[in-house]
This record gives sequence, C-alpha cells and structure tokens, in this order.
Amino acid sequence: MSKNPEQEQTRRQMLIAALRYGTLGLLGATGGAAVFAGKKKNTQNTVWQIDPEICIACGNCATYCVLEESAVKCVHTYAMCGYCRICFGFFGPEPADINEGAENQLCPTGAIKRTFVEDPYYEYTIDESLCMGCGKCVKGCSTFGNGALFLQVRHDRCLNCNECSIAAACPSGAYKRVPADKPYLLKRVDPVRNSGTDKTYLSKKEGEKRKISNRAKRFSNGVDHV
Amino acid sequence: MNRRLGTTNIKILVAVLVAIAIAVVAIVRLDTTGKKGSGLGEEFIYDVGDLGKIDPNLILYKESAPAIITGFTNSRAIAVDSKGTIHIAGDKAIRKFAESGNLLGELKFADMPRCLTVADDGKFYIAFKEHVEIYDGQGKRLATWQSLGDDAVLTSIAVSKNDVFVADAGNRIVHRFDKTGKLSNRIGAKDKDKNIPGFVIPSPHFDLAVAPDGLLRVVNPGNHRIEAYTFDGDLEFWWGQFSAGVQGFCGCCNPVNFAILQDENFVTCEKGLIRVKIYDPDGAFVGVVAGPEQLVEGGASRVSEFGPASQAGAFDVAVNTSGRIFVLDTIKNVVRTFTRTSPKK
Repeated sequence: MSKNPEQEQTRRQMLIAALRYGTLGLLGATGGAAVFAGKKKNTQNTVWQIDPEICIACGNCATYCVLEESAVKCVHTYAMCGYCRICFGFFGPEPADINEGAENQLCPTGAIKRTFVEDPYYEYTIDESLCMGCGKCVKGCSTFGNGALFLQVRHDRCLNCNECSIAAACPSGAYKRVPADKPYLLKRVDPVRNSGTDKTYLSKKEGEKRKISNRAKRFSNGVDHV
Repeated sequence: MNRRLGTTNIKILVAVLVAIAIAVVAIVRLDTTGKKGSGLGEEFIYDVGDLGKIDPNLILYKESAPAIITGFTNSRAIAVDSKGTIHIAGDKAIRKFAESGNLLGELKFADMPRCLTVADDGKFYIAFKEHVEIYDGQGKRLATWQSLGDDAVLTSIAVSKNDVFVADAGNRIVHRFDKTGKLSNRIGAKDKDKNIPGFVIPSPHFDLAVAPDGLLRVVNPGNHRIEAYTFDGDLEFWWGQFSAGVQGFCGCCNPVNFAILQDENFVTCEKGLIRVKIYDPDGAFVGVVAGPEQLVEGGASRVSEFGPASQAGAFDVAVNTSGRIFVLDTIKNVVRTFTRTSPKK
C-alpha cells in the first residue's frame, strides 16, 4: 500500500506543532512559576502596616478592608499617654459631664474603656472587638493630647492581600510594606521631643516594656496596674 | 434553521452587551482610590471647627506688625527683656530680634535650649533639658548649675529679686534656686495636709512666672488652672476651669503657656484649639487676643486635620512693657505681634 503524502505531511506538521506549542507551554509554565514564587516570597516576608506619622485617620480603614470587620484597629502607646481625667480621645469635644456616659464618649461604638487609677489619673484601653478602625479617637487624641492613640493593621486579622484595598484608598499614602518579623510601627516616647516632631519606632515587645516602666514611674506612689 | 440560529445569536449578543454595560457601570462606580470618602455616617466625623469660631466682639487685639521670621526649624520659647528685645529659643540657638524684626544677634549651643528668661541685670537664664546655665549679655557663660536628673524636662524659668524658679515637667515639680544655683526648696509636690493636689503634666508644657503681687504663678495644665504659690511652697489660690467654650480651657491639658501684662492681667496660650486669651488677676475672662482663625492656617476648620502640625501647636507668649503681646507660632516658627484695639474697661 503506498503512503499518502498528505498524511505524512500532516504527521510532520503535527510533530512540529507539538514541539512548538510544547516549548511555548514550558516557557509559560516556567515564567508563571517564577512570578508566583516571587510574589509568594514577597507576601511571606512583608506585611502591610500604617505609618502613624503619615496617617490622617480619614476613616477609610474602616470601610475599604476586604474583611467585613476591618483588620485595622486603634492601638494605644501607654507610655505616651497622659492618663488625663479629661481625655479627648475618650470624650467628645463638648461633653455634658465628665463621666463614662455614652452621650459623653467620642467613640461611636464605645470601644474605649475608661478606668480610674488614682486621682486624677485614668487609664484608657481599647476593646478591639468593638473598634472598627474609624480613627475618630485618633483625631481627638492627636489634636488635643499627645497622640498616644493611633491606627495599626492587626496581623491576627489581616489577610495580607497582595494589593491591599485600604492601601489603594489611603489618601495620605500611610500604608507601607514592613518586614513580617517587625510588623508594627509603634510610636515611641521621647519626653524631650514628645511634641511629636521626632518619633521613632520600637518593636512591639520593646514598646510593651517601655509602657510598663513608664506606668510604674508615673504611679510610683503606690498603685500598680501592671 | 437559519432563522433560529440568527435569533439565538442575537440573544447571546444582547446578553454580552448587557454584561459589558453592567461591568462598565460597576467599574466606574467602584472607588478604589478612596476619594469618595469612607462612607461612614456623621457620627464618625470629628470636627471641632465650630468650637474654634470666636465671636468677633470678644477679640480685643489685632496683629499690628509683620510676622518676625525666626529662621528656626523648631522654635521653643520666647522672652522679652526690659528693653523690648525679643529672644527666641529654638534648634540649638537663641536669637535676638528687635520689634521691627531685625536680627540683632545669636547665641549658639551644643544642646537645644528649652526655655529662657532675661533678668533685670541683663543676665540670661537658660534651661536645657535637665540643667540651667547663666550667660551675660555678650554671650559669655557665667555658670552651669547642677543637673536635675535624667527624668527632668525643664520647660520654664523665672527670676525674682533673689530666686530663680524652674519648672520641671518630667518630675512635675518647681525647683527654687538662689542666684548662686543652690537649691532652696521644691514647690508643688502633692501634699494632702497642705491641700496641694500636685501638678498634672500630661505633655511637656509647664509654665510659670513671678507675678507683681509677689506670688509665683504656675500652670497646672491637667487641672486646667493657674495656681498661686508662695516662694516657700504654700498654695494660696487658683483659678481656671475646663470648658470647651471660649471662657475656659479646653482639651486635656491647657493652658500650655502664659505671660503677665503690666496691668497684672494674664495672657494664656492653649494648644489643640489654639487660642490666646486674656484673664484678669482673679481669673475672670476678659477677652481674646487671637483664635484659631487668626493663628492657624486654614482657620478653625483645620484644627481637626491633624498631623505633625497639631503636635507642634504649643505656642508661647511674651509681653513687653507697653502691653504688646508677642506670640511665638511654633508651627510656622514666626513671632506674631498683637496690639490692643479696644479700650480697657
């Protein structure tokens, strides 16, 4: 039986096509794997965080997170706090009375708790289950106080999206990638320059140590809330 | 058959077009830039602009000269000597200006001067972070006093005939020295027996001055009042109260600085809601020198738009013998001059 020249040609073409497409597919797979590996490496080594020096507490953190409850919460550097009886991060601008009544509070969700320490000092703590990261208290504290309240991305909640939707919506450009082993940008106490013109950052652990030592110092006449 | 295929194709085409239209609308409406705002309700908005508005009838002063540009990056304190020369502490120097704004001289230091005063004999008493130095009028250092410890944050200094008083925000106390630098006593420590509550100093703004009546006036910013002490440390009386209104002191710790006019009225400075006001010797509100609309760029509405500027808004104030008020604007690092326009009652 004689061979069909069209079939031989078709098989040749098939082999060439297979070789061509196979090569392309291999190249594509290799490139895709390289990009994926690079992105995965980036995501694993860095996380999103808010620079409190740049943040303007616009409120976008509360609504632009892909999570229903934003991963951004207010945090408190106790060492910077004045423990004021009339805290403007806690009270509204014109409180009817200086007590913990809801009508006097600044936070719309009641996420800040006020606890008497000793006359005339009060401690203010954030209930993260209620905080939605709107930043209203941050504005009050920064306008009238020491700026001890500020917003941070909480990494027990954050999904670490490659493209953070809050970062895209941040009007001040306060979002940045930070090393995953130092995920927080905390304000530090510098009593000489506590006016806010010169702040650097400590790791969370170091910030906690400073908080404890300053509270002990401040209340050296007896009360210890450590 | 062809007709059925045609009908099906049209349906598919319409569906695709509708899907594209929906996608376009969704993309156009989608705000990924944040420019449309957070979408939060009114209860989430923080605006104290209305608090910053002051009845024009209460404003008794007007700015009467061009601002004096200090040239500092971080200006700290202002003092005026008996000749009317204006001294500004900032960065690592003290600069002297005439009222016209001409720079008359400069003293440079290795460290940042926190506050200063000029005594009647022309000597400069300059407080650094934890100690005081004395200079003569030519800039020669005459003395360096003992360090008050690592916790000390000296914020104000005042001189009387025989004593020097130094406000220490870090230790929340006023140190009284004699003219040789020997520590005589401390004023203002919490004492239940003497009914002294102690100073509440949430931020490093703690001012004092010796009043013409011979009593030391010291701000207690956390208690929103000015207290009067004898030089031996007895609390005589106080005035001032918290209020968001113009007649009181707002925020968590105000006033931050003050000065005493020749007629014994007080000129106070507040931070946060930046206001310079006048009170009489008994603490009754007299009027306003300038409010946020005069002092803050953008006026009262910018009070809530915080940033580093709001933390630098602890203005200082000094007066000269003719009643002119000099306000050190620590945001713009200039000195603003105010003269009374309305007659005194």
